[in-house]
Amino acid sequence: MQFELRTQVIEPTRKTFSHLVRRYGDRPASRYEEGTIDLQAVTNFHYRPLWDPSREIYSPDYSVLKLTDVYAYTDPRQFYYAPYVTARADLHEAFGSTLDYLEKRGMFDRLPPAWSSLVQDILLPLRHYEAAAQMISSAAARFGWGATITQCAAYAAFDRIGNAQMLSRVGISFGGGSADCLDLAKTAWIEADTWQPLRKLVEETLAERDWGKALIALDTMDRVLYTLFYTHLDDVAIASGAGSYSLVAQHFSSWFADQRRWLDALIKAWVADPEHGATNAAAISQTALAALGEIHEALCPVASAADALIDDNCHITLDTTVAQVRDAYAALGVNLEA
Amino acid sequence: MTIAPKAARKLTMKQRYSALTRDLDWEPSYVPAEELFPYTRFEGIKIHDWSKWEDPFRLTVDAYAKYQAEKDKRLYAVLDGFAQSQGHLSLTDASYLNAMKLFLQGVTPLEYQAHRNFAYLSRHLNGPGPRFASLCQSLDEMRHAQTEIHTLSNYNKYYSGFHDYLHMHDRVWYLSVPKSFFDDALSAGPFEFLIAIGFSFEYLLTNLLFVPFMSGASFNGDLPTMTFGFSAQSDESRHMTLGLEAIKFLLEQDEDNVPIVQHWIDKWFWRGYRVTALVAQMLDYMLPRKVMSWKEAFELYFEQQMLGGLFQDLAFYGIRPPRDVEKAIQEKDYISHQAYWILYQFSHAAAFTTSVPSDEHLDWLEEQYPDTFPTYRKLWDKERKNVENGGRHFVRGLPQLCQVCQIPMGFTEADDPFIQCQRETIFEGERYNFCSDGCKNIFDHEPVKFRQSWLPVHQIYQGNCGAADLPGVLQWYGMQPGDGGEYLGSVDHENWLAWHDMAETTGGN
Ligand SMILES: [Fe+2]
Ligand SMILES: [Fe+2]
Ligand SMILES: [Zn+2]
Repeated sequence: MQFELRTQVIEPTRKTFSHLVRRYGDRPASRYEEGTIDLQAVTNFHYRPLWDPSREIYSPDYSVLKLTDVYAYTDPRQFYYAPYVTARADLHEAFGSTLDYLEKRGMFDRLPPAWSSLVQDILLPLRHYEAAAQMISSAAARFGWGATITQCAAYAAFDRIGNAQMLSRVGISFGGGSADCLDLAKTAWIEADTWQPLRKLVEETLAERDWGKALIALDTMDRVLYTLFYTHLDDVAIASGAGSYSLVAQHFSSWFADQRRWLDALIKAWVADPEHGATNAAAISQTALAALGEIHEALCPVASAADALIDDNCHITLDTTVAQVRDAYAALGVNLEA
Repeated sequence: MTIAPKAARKLTMKQRYSALTRDLDWEPSYVPAEELFPYTRFEGIKIHDWSKWEDPFRLTVDAYAKYQAEKDKRLYAVLDGFAQSQGHLSLTDASYLNAMKLFLQGVTPLEYQAHRNFAYLSRHLNGPGPRFASLCQSLDEMRHAQTEIHTLSNYNKYYSGFHDYLHMHDRVWYLSVPKSFFDDALSAGPFEFLIAIGFSFEYLLTNLLFVPFMSGASFNGDLPTMTFGFSAQSDESRHMTLGLEAIKFLLEQDEDNVPIVQHWIDKWFWRGYRVTALVAQMLDYMLPRKVMSWKEAFELYFEQQMLGGLFQDLAFYGIRPPRDVEKAIQEKDYISHQAYWILYQFSHAAAFTTSVPSDEHLDWLEEQYPDTFPTYRKLWDKERKNVENGGRHFVRGLPQLCQVCQIPMGFTEADDPFIQCQRETIFEGERYNFCSDGCKNIFDHEPVKFRQSWLPVHQIYQGNCGAADLPGVLQWYGMQPGDGGEYLGSVDHENWLAWHDMAETTGGN
């Protein structure tokens, strides 16, 4: 049966799904809301996991960080799959044009020698850090409680492997199309004294079974590391005629600004929770404080290595960054005084 | 530092992919590997060399994002256009949407479960190759969950049965069939999950599960669902190659893996096949415009493609077809009739409607099932008389459920359509009932797991479902008037008639 195009408007009998009406009242819901809120099963699980019979398949107890109402938290970016991949398609396209430009103009070859060494010795090994960040984020995507948080974590996991791939593509370009520079960077990550404290810290963070604490530890490390390598060194690079470093770094700092949005909102929600706020704040403070001390120490040899190459004051920047991270946590309601 | 040599050796595509994915990994030395990957030993699977994993596809993050964003742009354009033009009025009939209600209630939450557990694999498999492949699949499954919700969201605005599918998935009796299936997979270890979902669900049974819904959509004017189906196809082909690589990898790593994998194939074939009973009845009874019969679908997508193709290849590894496959083949002649009869009698407690098939429909069924359908036709003839006398049949009591698949015990012995098949096991003094040897075998292998089943009927008896009487339970389920029962005269049916009257009188303006 085919019908003509109708002029008559048929009034919908419902504006959206019942679970959204219960939460938000009888109003139309956004695609983010329909695609996210209450998506995870919360009750009547059939079997306990063989790999951890003490818990349910999904449970708030996989972390000490809890929300009374998980869906009180939503992603400020309102990312469901379609806008997420669209945003990332744009990001990677922009990065791809940067890389094309750098290659076409032979920009990596034109780097001042010290900056060339910095790319090799400091920037490229970070791809392994990003790979670990994927795994930590993936754990949160599996073990987190509530689809709003786990969705953000899942996209962050994919972002991190994307960041690792962007750094790897820089490495391939930098190596004239070969993997030689990536191999050198990997050897440095595994063997060089400069990187061992950070690698140790990363492996220990991977071993953390509490997904919330692991996320906070990673984020604390990220805050310091991203500021140092992608914001501070970006500025220095411009001043030192290392434009290609800056062109690469900007993509990472703008990604990190996006990452901050969902994480800062989440930390705020954890701290402000009517029931768990105090416990959350204490656990975040404890975890972040420890991670901040550790990342400070772990990045000292890296900052020294950078200073030795480009004669900058990365060391001092590292110290100030650590102080800024304390302030940033304080602004979110987490006291990081030892 | 060493300056990169000028005449560098360019990477091949394969080397480049490996540099962008598995080469990111390193051997941990500050924390023991067993502590970083605690879940890959207890299942008894032996992996000697993770690097032997062959990447099932080569998609980098940038290419993935670009490709998927383009697909979603096209899909959402179709959804928007369909909603704006009141496209739902061009369906063959409102009753078609029963298939989609079942899909949203039963399948979409499984996509989400897959999303979560492929994230688990992307963290907890030791090998970076399968971790990255799993990460991509985890994202795809989120895509499927959300695009399905958005595809069917428009129907929810005009039709019953869709509105509380998540709440219902956690509670309602027939939805515990798919839910327990996926809970079973999530509560298994990572290797069993790979075989359960990656291989059995995504490869062995995927065409039987999905093609009937998608073809049903295209035959019945459901452009959004059809478009979703096409759009998901390229994701699914990646999932199929992942599933195939997973099984080959496990089998090639160690001979001792073969019997473990064989057991999982036996288990997950039957587990998945039982879920397809819902698809079987949908295909034969819920589509106003028929696509093919369940029997044809089973012969094509399972007997020809899997038994005739896949298992010939797997024989090389010492793998034989699933243990209870003969029973499934016998059942193809009657499973849909028995499954729909169960749903028909209990649809007053469901969020879809049922009805006595029309004469034309009964004739079609008889053509498709010349040997078995005459028996069931008598049932429908009798029921039609009941309906004419105002006595439409609903079962007021509660059925007994199979402890494993959780389908009400309504399937019969293969050689007698009047003898209900019932098997039982006594475990630690407790009696458990099963619909089939397949389900009993699964229980007997893991009694400690399957005695935990959250059986909806038991739960009602134990007072865990809001009330002891039917209206109370339905309220606890989140059912609203019009969600279930008989289709003829239902809210959807009445609206459909009214809207089409209206459409015809105002049509052509
Ligand atoms: Fe899927
Ligand atoms: Fe899939
Ligand atoms: Zn059963």
